[in-house]
Amino acid sequence: MNDIKFPVSDYMPDSCIPDGPIEQKWTKYKREAKLINPNNRRKYTVLVVGTGLAGGSAAATLAEQGYNVKCFCYQDSPRRAHSIAAQGGINAAHNYQNDGDSVYRLFYDTVKGGDFRAREANVYRLAEVSCDIINQCVAQGVPFGREYGGLLDNRSFGGSQLKRTFYSRGQTGQQLLLGCYQAMEKEIGKGHIEMHPRTEMLDLVVVDGHAKGIVVRDMVTGEIKSYAGDTVLLATGGYGRVFFLSTNAMGCNVGAACACWKKGAYFANPCFTQIHPTCIPVKGDYQSKLTLMSESLRNDGRIWVPKSREVAEKIRKGEMKPSDVAENDRDYYLERKYPSFGNLAPRDISSRAAKEACDDERGVAATGRGVFLDFKDAIARMGKEWIDGQYGNLFEMYEEITAVDPHEQPMMIYPASHYTMGGLWVDYNLMSSIPGLHVLGEANFSDHGANRLGASALMQGLSDGYFVIASTLPTYLTTQKPGSVTTAAPEFKEAEDAVKERINKMMNVKGTRTPDEIHRELGKLVWDKVGMGRTKESLMEAIEKIPGIRDEFWSNVKVAGSTEGMNMELEKAWRVAAFLDFAEVLCYDALNREESCGAHFRLEHQMADGEAKRDDANFAYVACWEYKGTGELPVLHKENLTFDNVHLAIRSYK
Amino acid sequence: MANLNLTLKVWRQENAQAQGRIETYKATNIPEEASFLEMLDIVNEGLVKEGIEPIHFDHDCREGICGMCSLTINGVPHGGKHVTTCQLHMRQFKDGDTVWIEPFRARAFPLLRDLVVDRTALDNIIASGGFVDVRTGSAPNANNMPVRKKTADAAFDAAACIGCGACVASCKNSSAMLFTSAKAAHLNLLPQGHPEKNKRVLAMVRQMDAMGFGNCTNQYECEAACPKGISVDNIAKLNRDYMIACASEAVGVFA
Amino acid sequence: MEYGYSRKDVIALMNDIITTACKFVTSSIGRKILVALTGACLLLFLVGHLAGNMTIYGGNPGAGEPSWIDAYATGLHTMPAWLLMAIRLGLLAILLVHVVLTLVLKYENVTARTHYQKEGTLKATLSSRTMVLTGVMIFCFLVFHLWQLTVNGDPHDCYNHIIAAFSNGWCSLFYIVAICCLFMHVRHGVQSILQTLGLATRKVRPLYNLVAVLFAIVVCGGFISIPLAVLTGILK
Repeated sequence: MNDIKFPVSDYMPDSCIPDGPIEQKWTKYKREAKLINPNNRRKYTVLVVGTGLAGGSAAATLAEQGYNVKCFCYQDSPRRAHSIAAQGGINAAHNYQNDGDSVYRLFYDTVKGGDFRAREANVYRLAEVSCDIINQCVAQGVPFGREYGGLLDNRSFGGSQLKRTFYSRGQTGQQLLLGCYQAMEKEIGKGHIEMHPRTEMLDLVVVDGHAKGIVVRDMVTGEIKSYAGDTVLLATGGYGRVFFLSTNAMGCNVGAACACWKKGAYFANPCFTQIHPTCIPVKGDYQSKLTLMSESLRNDGRIWVPKSREVAEKIRKGEMKPSDVAENDRDYYLERKYPSFGNLAPRDISSRAAKEACDDERGVAATGRGVFLDFKDAIARMGKEWIDGQYGNLFEMYEEITAVDPHEQPMMIYPASHYTMGGLWVDYNLMSSIPGLHVLGEANFSDHGANRLGASALMQGLSDGYFVIASTLPTYLTTQKPGSVTTAAPEFKEAEDAVKERINKMMNVKGTRTPDEIHRELGKLVWDKVGMGRTKESLMEAIEKIPGIRDEFWSNVKVAGSTEGMNMELEKAWRVAAFLDFAEVLCYDALNREESCGAHFRLEHQMADGEAKRDDANFAYVACWEYKGTGELPVLHKENLTFDNVHLAIRSYK
Repeated sequence: MANLNLTLKVWRQENAQAQGRIETYKATNIPEEASFLEMLDIVNEGLVKEGIEPIHFDHDCREGICGMCSLTINGVPHGGKHVTTCQLHMRQFKDGDTVWIEPFRARAFPLLRDLVVDRTALDNIIASGGFVDVRTGSAPNANNMPVRKKTADAAFDAAACIGCGACVASCKNSSAMLFTSAKAAHLNLLPQGHPEKNKRVLAMVRQMDAMGFGNCTNQYECEAACPKGISVDNIAKLNRDYMIACASEAVGVFA
Repeated sequence: MEYGYSRKDVIALMNDIITTACKFVTSSIGRKILVALTGACLLLFLVGHLAGNMTIYGGNPGAGEPSWIDAYATGLHTMPAWLLMAIRLGLLAILLVHVVLTLVLKYENVTARTHYQKEGTLKATLSSRTMVLTGVMIFCFLVFHLWQLTVNGDPHDCYNHIIAAFSNGWCSLFYIVAICCLFMHVRHGVQSILQTLGLATRKVRPLYNLVAVLFAIVVCGGFISIPLAVLTGILK
């Protein structure tokens, strides 16, 4: 096998981190930031793509401030963005529980949870604005869980030792998104936001090196249109559906981010993909998505597989009921391996342990890819009613999907792709390497390093949208003459033509395989080879095979229907094509990162006890990939990470 | 587990202007544990291979929370099993069944294609007053205003609405009262939403009427079809709040 | 000006009231509330009417003695003519508001709905789905009823007039069918009024349903008992 030598560039854009002690950076930034007169703000047009927590909150806030906002989403309403599916909660350093929380502690936990691969200054800012987020949401009428005294309640979550998570039952994401959606609708009603639902961004328009517009497809009429603005805010979420099966919504895709990457925005740390340990296992080939069961279940559920392969085999074949397996024949492997954290070990560790058990042929579920999450002991200890009070809706949901009552038989779970820490590279202003292109929320490479802690995604999305971008956007906009670029610029026509040509090309293949089939094939390959445990061999194999699948797409895809009007096959095909262009850089990044950290686990790099072995001397950097053509090796730019405020330590949860 | 063979009666319509019709398709070898939308995926894959355009339907999260999936199944939105269509599983059907699949009914939900309808009217109701008018950054400390737990829980129950529009589609009159009242109740119950209560109620009801929805006749089909169990108590509350708001507007009582 | 109101203030207040009232009677909820309130008035009328009708069971003593019901009917006519007319016109107005608004709402409801092919019902009761139909039936009956017993009736010979009317099988049948429609109408109407006026909650709604059914049974049972009693010869 030949080694791949990645072209490395010495150039790295300035990350624009303010000077001074970490506690003062953001204050100093805001004090010194450029401002735009309220009367002048309406002259600036801001294009916001995506209406999840990041995009929606940014659109609402910027519209309130007086900017002229145009907002786009592929769903039929901004309220449907996939932030809505977040269950658990949102972190904030309010210290309402008086258990010693502080901005610093939230900052530290997040950096450590991310296995020291995040930018300190960004994470500190995130922790600083976390309290403002909660205040804002409460004022909007988000019904957070409360105590009888009328004050806000908190939960504890994985990776922290205190209670700082605010929640709305199991639907925190929904309630936060509705708050944000209502703020948007308020501005839509006032005419400050021009909303374009059922509109998908297909390309970015770069004029004189600056992002000045987007090309979109109207998903109802099929029309390809352009919009010009003074800046573009990309908040299009993650790329988890590169694995085909994931907890993401069916429409989640990398198309917009990939288009920006191709236009010059660096893609940072794409190999950091989070695999969530508690999802309902795959049932069959027809399956379209995986359903997450909240991490909170691990508070009272015990995870196990049979000790012997024979028993596992019997369960797989349905010859034996899980509840009939004797206590002695069960391997509570998380409790065995991580006695102090037990079933509450962080997500990456729990996921890998499940995979190991199944690789050892002790997995359950008909496919062999599943482990048990058992509530037998908790029910015996606390009673059925108490359990239902805690997890009733989750138990119902599980029974609805699987027709198995988790009171009687243990749940079956297996890890699934859930969140992507990697994304487009941004500086402290949330601006990418293309001036004028700002990236928010999960779409940027963000504040989570190599692993995201539970309840931190909602925090980051809202932080970027409500608070950060509102202060950092003028830094760019003040350098621009408002309205200087219109869709009359030749770059718009060029981009539209390129998009139309690509669409026509895929429509005209007229092959035999549907976009879904090809997506499934890609997903299976990436999941098997670049999923939870990666080796040089597996990565090389994926890198060799991906171009083949891409060629298969461009020579044998069958896109039904026409370019006019609504065409869901064309939408799928466009998204699959983007995943095919993007999948290699995910593998390249995983191959380049010769260490294990957080969610990125290279089997070659582990401790004697199987724990991740980080290499801070060589890999304490953000790997930023510059696109050089499909099928070509991307160029690696490195942003070195320095840790002045936290001590680099081995992340141990034993 | 057994696989099912079904006959599907599906509403097909190329676009808003075209004439719609029912087409019959066979759904063969459908696994019982597949969801209803996965069943449609399988059927569509077959249709595409045969050179027929796939059946268009709305869907996204497929875990029952985004509210994008619609479908009237056997005459009832979401199939009437207290879950969204995406959470409806094929084990609810028997081998040999005939299943009717049609769009959500309502003049205010114009059809776009096949089973896809435009529910923007619901967004317009929210835009008219379904919010608390606070600017980002101006909020006081979250614990400055205690809220009784009971009130917070009641507000949450109303706020659990996913905006799918099943209430409208199930209503014999295509009334949007359950949707509108749930949002109004969520915000009116909380102290944060109180300053705008009357204004909100008047604006939302008037917008609802302007969108061409019908009038509630207290049949409670909406509650029965709602996948999130939103209660018609909200409708009673909206009626009450509307009287109060009108009195306030006319003569200034209850202001 | 007296009471601190200037002419301008009065005009502004009137303007506010009229504007809101106009919006109220053109809004969905406003009209529903009016339908509910008029419905409640009509229910009260039904109760009064039934109470009066029950005097028929006082029987006919004959021999020039007035029967109870004749006494009751004559009694009604002893009130000043203008008052009787005012009550009649009031009732008529209430009835017309109830009917006209319902028909307007119904028209809107029909227009608001589109149809494909398959229709299903989960919970809506038959009575709730047939409100307009039963309403129209009741209205037709009402016209006949007034013609038969009020226009052509004689308050001094009520008893015999009723017995004569109900001795006709067709007439009794029409009456019974109409009262069955009234039963359906009232059964949905009572709880619907409470919901529309914002007085219902999940806790009391089942109770309201029970009350509605009991109310409908008592009222309609009372009315129907009269033709039945005549047909079976209990009343002669």
